Amino acid sequence: MAEEKLVPTVCPYCALGCGFYIKLKEDGPEIEYMLDHPTNEGSLCAKGNASLEIINHPDRLRHPLKKIEGGWSRITWDEALSIVAGKIEETIKRHGPDALGFLGSAKSTNEENYLFQKMARTLGSKNVDCCARRCHSPTIPALKRAFGSACMTNPIPDLANSDCIFVIGSNFAENHPIVARWAMRAKDRGGRIVVADPRLTPTTWLADLHLQIRLGTDVALLNGMMKVIIDEGLWDRKFVAERTVGFEELAEMVAGYTLEKVSEITGAPPEAIVRAARFYAKSPSSAIVYSMGITQHSHGTNNVSACADLALLCGQLGRSGAGLYPLRGQNNVQGACDMGVLADFYPGSISVHDREAIRFVEEAWGTRALPIGMGMTAEAMPVAAAAGDLRFLYVMGEDLVNSDSSSSRGRRELENLDFMVVQDIFMTETAEMADLVLPAAAWAEKEGTFTSSERRVQWTYRAFHPPGEARSDLSTILDLADLLGLDFDYAATEDVLAEIGRLVPSYAGISKERAQGIGGVIWPCPHPEHPGTPILHQEGFSAPEGRGRIVPMEYLPPAEETSLDYPLLLTTGRVALHHNAGSMTRRSFSLMKRSPELFVEVNPKDADRWSVIDGDLVEVETRRGEAWARARVTPRQEEGVIFMPFHFPETNLLTSDVIDPEARIPEFKVAACRIGKMKGV
Amino acid sequence: MEVYVDIDRCIYCHACEVACERVHGEARISVGAVEERASVPLFCHQCDVAPCALACPAGSLVQGESAVSFEAERCTRCGLCAIACPFGAVYIGETALLQKCDLCSEREVPACVLTCPTEALIWGDGEDGAKRLRRRAAGRMAQSCAEAIGRGRI
Repeated sequence: MAEEKLVPTVCPYCALGCGFYIKLKEDGPEIEYMLDHPTNEGSLCAKGNASLEIINHPDRLRHPLKKIEGGWSRITWDEALSIVAGKIEETIKRHGPDALGFLGSAKSTNEENYLFQKMARTLGSKNVDCCARRCHSPTIPALKRAFGSACMTNPIPDLANSDCIFVIGSNFAENHPIVARWAMRAKDRGGRIVVADPRLTPTTWLADLHLQIRLGTDVALLNGMMKVIIDEGLWDRKFVAERTVGFEELAEMVAGYTLEKVSEITGAPPEAIVRAARFYAKSPSSAIVYSMGITQHSHGTNNVSACADLALLCGQLGRSGAGLYPLRGQNNVQGACDMGVLADFYPGSISVHDREAIRFVEEAWGTRALPIGMGMTAEAMPVAAAAGDLRFLYVMGEDLVNSDSSSSRGRRELENLDFMVVQDIFMTETAEMADLVLPAAAWAEKEGTFTSSERRVQWTYRAFHPPGEARSDLSTILDLADLLGLDFDYAATEDVLAEIGRLVPSYAGISKERAQGIGGVIWPCPHPEHPGTPILHQEGFSAPEGRGRIVPMEYLPPAEETSLDYPLLLTTGRVALHHNAGSMTRRSFSLMKRSPELFVEVNPKDADRWSVIDGDLVEVETRRGEAWARARVTPRQEEGVIFMPFHFPETNLLTSDVIDPEARIPEFKVAACRIGKMKGV
Repeated sequence: MEVYVDIDRCIYCHACEVACERVHGEARISVGAVEERASVPLFCHQCDVAPCALACPAGSLVQGESAVSFEAERCTRCGLCAIACPFGAVYIGETALLQKCDLCSEREVPACVLTCPTEALIWGDGEDGAKRLRRRAAGRMAQSCAEAIGRGRI
């Protein structure tokens, strides 16, 4: 009998970190469910089941490619890396290190991201960032201020112990289906699910109470709920007195948010707001689950703060079943942030403004004069390219052209760069624009650690050889660092992990062996004997004096409103069968078969008004661009609002580029628009 | 053993379809949404008196005690079974002959059941499946009942 081998792996799609086995056998690889994985218990969503379709896909990049007149020319790795090193040196000589930009990847391992930012900063560039800027950047300042650390407080399976799960701005049933497993277990125990969402979604199907609020009115709703909770005396006096600061200011501010006013702003009936407030405050253990519906706004940071305020006010933190769950999008977005692939943080959340702490990093890296101060963020890099301040951009595994808001502007701006190198597994729209493309290994073709949304650090094994000459990001960075004369001396991936442990206290106790265990280790894990910390903030917060900070937030409307010319609002989101910018799922046969094209959901009344029939190809136009999409006439959408998924390149031609002043995330969720049918057809 | 469905839990995620397609080459289960308010996975019910087996003139579909089996070499692709099935759960496939759930005869537990994120698909015998559905429903209702008689948490 032919030999079979089971290789454990971590799903490459969303951030839940579901485990499964890759069964290697003579007639091709197969998925085997990992029944003892703590997060997914073997279950996998559609994307997880389809994940092996991108291994050995015919579209995979197999050789380094250099752009030539009218196409690409295959070159050797030696040539490619010496071109990149030469361009970096030339840019530094001519324009200084701040003309270099580095975009890391929430799909690469911790070790790869760590070395990527170490290379950038050792070269003297402050400009390091990643796609976290477009998903959970508001979570970072808001939760750091509130709790002292910016991440999910409890593990996903702990949702089963919640008596009330308040979901705001998350459609987890489609986008993180495994979350629904644990939410339903909570319901089996008599728990309640309350969902605030402008749309009808499979998540709202699960709700005991659905508040169909207007786009971007989350802060008003949360303030209204907090006023009810304070007026009815339902807040946790002991918790607030002993473990928080800022209650008085909050009470004073939310006093203005009467039910009438909040109902008028949000569109939710007053009695529903009261019920939601009571469910959350009175349940013995309540959780808040949020995602992009909270963060992707011009006031995203305020939205996150208001969620944290609600949790602090009711003492719904630091216990089993009571927690705050920012659901993250990419398999290693938490890890990329922990590794300091952010314009505002060095590894281990060391602020780029903190000279003292950066001195510690300098010592650890045996270097001097690391850059201090804020670097260019992901959305600032194209703007800086247009202004001539950014000359060279290194993109590791990111399709920024497709994922940036108002993307036709971004595309024009990037054309101004002197040189762009893109390292990816497919020829993405961003890679098409590059001067040089480097083929990368996919998740199961390399090794290292991924950190899930639960802070769970797990090892990914090399089950396959990368196709052609594709290589892991780690080996590419090490060879490039060598050419640049940087002293990066690592014999193995685990040596990088060990260095991470010396610099990032939460990772200090995490070794390769521990990460290899089923379910890995949940950080903070400060020493090798430490079991990991599934539930944060049990004793105190890591904020000053160990107290949580309640920061009252006034409601601000979305930046764009409807007008005569643009009478509808466009909101964006995800669908169950695709992932983010779609470079992987749009190449996956079994997913594309079920969700083949861009669509736009239109309420039947709006469809009547603009003579749109289900199945029509319609043009959607905003102040920034236009795109074609297949109409789906459906009551899932409230009147006046249309919805498009952002997995297809056209959607982000339309989205707004107004950004949150603190987190610098664009307002993907609200854009004024109009729709029309194709003319002359 | 059979596959039971807990309709309250189906979230229209298509995981069962993609898993089935991965294992069998074509999906023998399909999920349809109803009125944008719920979704239902449809697959062979392994009927006790199966219309497909009754209609099959070639003896390819065979009525068994707990399942309807399919013998590919006898199939003439006449399509009568697809017409006879009241659930649309049998069809002539693109890549293979007839497509119908065989409860993953080569595995201990069907792939759709293992992969279902919400445990909407339950693997059990008649009594067992119903018992699990009842227990879940009771848990969900208990809280409302307790509230109604003033003994709730809220």
